[in-house]
Amino acid sequence: MNSYAFYLGCIAPNRYPGIEAAAIKTGKKLGIDLIPLKGASCCPAPGAFGSIDLDVFYAMAARNLVLAEQMKSDIALVCNGCYKSIWEVNHKLKHNDDLRDNVNEVLKEIDMEFKGTIEVYHLAELLYDPKIVGIEKIRESVTNPLTGTRIAVHYGCHLIKPKKERHFGSTDRPTWIEEMVEALGAEAVEYRNKMLCCGAGGGVRGYDIVHALDIANEKLINLQEVQVDALTDICPFCQLQFDRGQIEIQEKFGATYNLPVLHYSELLGLAQGMSPQDLALDLHGISCEPFLQKIL
Amino acid sequence: MVEAKKSKKESKSSKEHKAPVTAAPAPAAPQVQQKPRVGVFICHCGTNIAGSIDIPALQEYAKTLPNVAHVDNYQYQCSTPGQNKIIDAIKEHKLTGTVVAACSPRLHEPTFRMATKEGGLNPFRFEMANIREQNSWVHMHDREGATAKAKDAVRIAVAKASLLEDLFPRSVPVEKAAMVVGAGIAGMQAALDLANAGIKTYLIEKNPSIGGRMSQLDKTFPTLDCSQCILTPKMVDVGRAQNIELMTYAEVEAVEGYIGNFDVTIRKKARGVLTPQEAEAKGIVGGGCNGCGDCDPVCPVVQPNEFEVGMKPRKAIYISHPQVVPLIYTIDKDSCIKCELCVTACGDKKAIVLDQEDEFVKLKVGTAILATGYDIFPIEKKEEWGYKKFDNVVSSLEFERLICASGPTGGHLIRPSDGETPKKVAFVLCAGSRDNTGVGKPYCSRFCCMYSLKHAHQIIEKIPGCIPYIFYMDIRSFGKMYEEFYYRIQDEGAKFIRGRVSHILEDPETKNLKVFADDTLLDRPITLDMDMVVLAAAVQPAEQTDKTRKMFGVSCSMDGWLLEAHPKLNPCGTTTAGVFLAGVCQGPKDIPDAVASAEGAASAASIPIHKGEVELEPYFAQCMEEKCAGCGMCVNLCPYSALALVDKEGKKVMQVTEAKCKGCGTCGAFCPGGAIWMQHFATPQIVAQIDAFLLGGEQ
Repeated sequence: MNSYAFYLGCIAPNRYPGIEAAAIKTGKKLGIDLIPLKGASCCPAPGAFGSIDLDVFYAMAARNLVLAEQMKSDIALVCNGCYKSIWEVNHKLKHNDDLRDNVNEVLKEIDMEFKGTIEVYHLAELLYDPKIVGIEKIRESVTNPLTGTRIAVHYGCHLIKPKKERHFGSTDRPTWIEEMVEALGAEAVEYRNKMLCCGAGGGVRGYDIVHALDIANEKLINLQEVQVDALTDICPFCQLQFDRGQIEIQEKFGATYNLPVLHYSELLGLAQGMSPQDLALDLHGISCEPFLQKIL
Repeated sequence: MVEAKKSKKESKSSKEHKAPVTAAPAPAAPQVQQKPRVGVFICHCGTNIAGSIDIPALQEYAKTLPNVAHVDNYQYQCSTPGQNKIIDAIKEHKLTGTVVAACSPRLHEPTFRMATKEGGLNPFRFEMANIREQNSWVHMHDREGATAKAKDAVRIAVAKASLLEDLFPRSVPVEKAAMVVGAGIAGMQAALDLANAGIKTYLIEKNPSIGGRMSQLDKTFPTLDCSQCILTPKMVDVGRAQNIELMTYAEVEAVEGYIGNFDVTIRKKARGVLTPQEAEAKGIVGGGCNGCGDCDPVCPVVQPNEFEVGMKPRKAIYISHPQVVPLIYTIDKDSCIKCELCVTACGDKKAIVLDQEDEFVKLKVGTAILATGYDIFPIEKKEEWGYKKFDNVVSSLEFERLICASGPTGGHLIRPSDGETPKKVAFVLCAGSRDNTGVGKPYCSRFCCMYSLKHAHQIIEKIPGCIPYIFYMDIRSFGKMYEEFYYRIQDEGAKFIRGRVSHILEDPETKNLKVFADDTLLDRPITLDMDMVVLAAAVQPAEQTDKTRKMFGVSCSMDGWLLEAHPKLNPCGTTTAGVFLAGVCQGPKDIPDAVASAEGAASAASIPIHKGEVELEPYFAQCMEEKCAGCGMCVNLCPYSALALVDKEGKKVMQVTEAKCKGCGTCGAFCPGGAIWMQHFATPQIVAQIDAFLLGGEQ
């Protein structure tokens, strides 16, 4: 069993607690032991903090990293925004001595020191990596295949971009999450402009909600064209944008889609036989019922 | 008047230079030296040095150093009065060596050696202290530190100058032949110039035909000449020139030797088809390939034609286009099924030899020119534009073939998806060039702006109502009549959008393309529907450039382009004497620049040949025979095969072939008996420099 310090972030525990439950329970069946990272703060959000005060941004992320260093565990997380902050800060502090010294100067006040002894992973990359889990094991763990459903994937930006600082291969035509979707028995569906942003990131949702929703709406139109049963994501913030965003889009633009939106962990949970109650799917803004009826 | 005086002096000195060549060789052991008297000359280089270094303090310090007999400073030591100061001081103060503290030796070492010589000393009695590039320029804001460092540099140079000895360069004869690698427009021009100057020239081309990239182009900017029309006469000239020995379908296999005497092995790849000359040599009278093409229709194997970027078929036995030089068919061994139908069709000419094998030819040449050209960057790596994913996204080279009358469509531009004529065509400039994302190339590919303007003109001219949309960062119309051409294309109705294309989407049914970009002049995003997109892809060094350059010992820059000896003042030479660069292998160039650089390289490469001999710097290893134990371990270490063991008076000793020795010092550093004397970098000299640095002059 590989064990990791599980960094939850903000949106998953507060808005979609099913993601947390699913990650921990499905992980156990696949040899991943997620141990909650106690005392963690906000990652902090790359747009909201990173574009205002970098010193605070580095110091807060470093504090989260040090908590995991003290556990002697690598970090696993479920959100692209958290990945951007924590993975990138870990990477930068390991390679930039000046920055590291500055950050450690701040951390000294709380008797902490960044040592650079751990790695940061997105749960999705651990699931895809055949050395950790891999497609085969995912397929074997499925007890309730999602056969007959058509599912589209939203990758989100922060995990795989910018290309020169990431290691996930293609940034424009990735298909590895589709492979993971098909391992659950569903049909993965391509759609127009798949790699378009959800519209929420970079502080846009907070700053200009209409603009943010306009981008999400364009994606929803493209998804409607290909008639999918659900959209899956690997980022709670993207999920929030597409799920609650549909309600806002209905209010502001009058367009109705009723497209269920599920985090990949939630899909994996359903395929492994977790109940919708266990996954708290009733807390989603858009009802997952039509999708559930196809698979249960 | 100054010039006349100088040239007179030079001719006098070059006569003097030659004299020791036939005289006895330099002694192979430390010479007996009189008490050293070193003169130190400090250059201000205007404010380049004097602005950051305290010259009076440095001068006072130099006076205190051991063996220093005279110190002087001057505003520009390299000027005629500056040099005269050195010449006069040598005579007046009976100096045995000189030190100039100034710029890099790469710049002015020859100047001051000459001055030292004119003062009556051997030119190798001069040592340079670099207090500009390695000091004042990098420590511009630290006057105190820079001055202290300059004192160190001068002290070290004085220590070495005290121990320098007379050295005599060797001259070696130069083979009266040259070689050009690559027969694109640059290589062809260089070969023609050399041949016309009366030099036997071997022209090596890896493809079956000469002509290179230029032969694939339809028209040339800004004159709109047909590319083939201006190129083929030159190709014919190359084929006919008496002094050019053309070797197509051949590659450089190995290079040995040095300037004046390169021994080159050429691999003549098995073509499977005999030329008339080869046939005659085999006793087949009147045989060999005459280009009749009887073999082509009978060959059952169909392959994509590389010359047409794969858009037209060829057979396994083929010529890539009608104007090839030489007009000899070639068999693609990888796809030939040896059915022998072509052998039958060829009949009495007996030109086809299916089991032919590669042949190796040895050549001896005095100088060589590399003109290995470029390839197109694999633009599918820039995934956002969908090249090789979307049918109607093509590269500029594909566009050239599609718009060319002799191309796969007879010059009718069509959409690859459905054969329809496009009405809206987008051109994406800087596709993979000026790209700092880590995927593309950071440099400007230089000729894409101009050929894209030409492409825009061509579609306006050929397709009524068709509108070109040019997405650009800047239009770099840098040459003669280029800016005028840019205005002309604007007037003809091309649309220019300043901004990069972020991504392209394809409609799966119509295969039309949606182009997303940022219009930076209007400061807003823009989306346009296009029938076709042409990517002006970056260029990169040709595939085998790296292998070839290593054989010739030529360096390359970080991006792989071959490195010239000096970017401004020696653009055709390389750091390997006798090897020169022509055309795009050195960096992106349009046709006029490639031809100009080829003519420059040909001129430079002909100089040693016409001179007849070259002088080698006398930094050779020397064997001190009384100390040599004859173990021979140095012989195997030498990377240049310059050393050998010989019997001398009943004893085995090492002997150096001076012309082969590059003075790298590998043998000298290794020799367990300390029996190898590295001229100009001898152990006592280097030890004195180290001591001078570490002990602060207290030796």
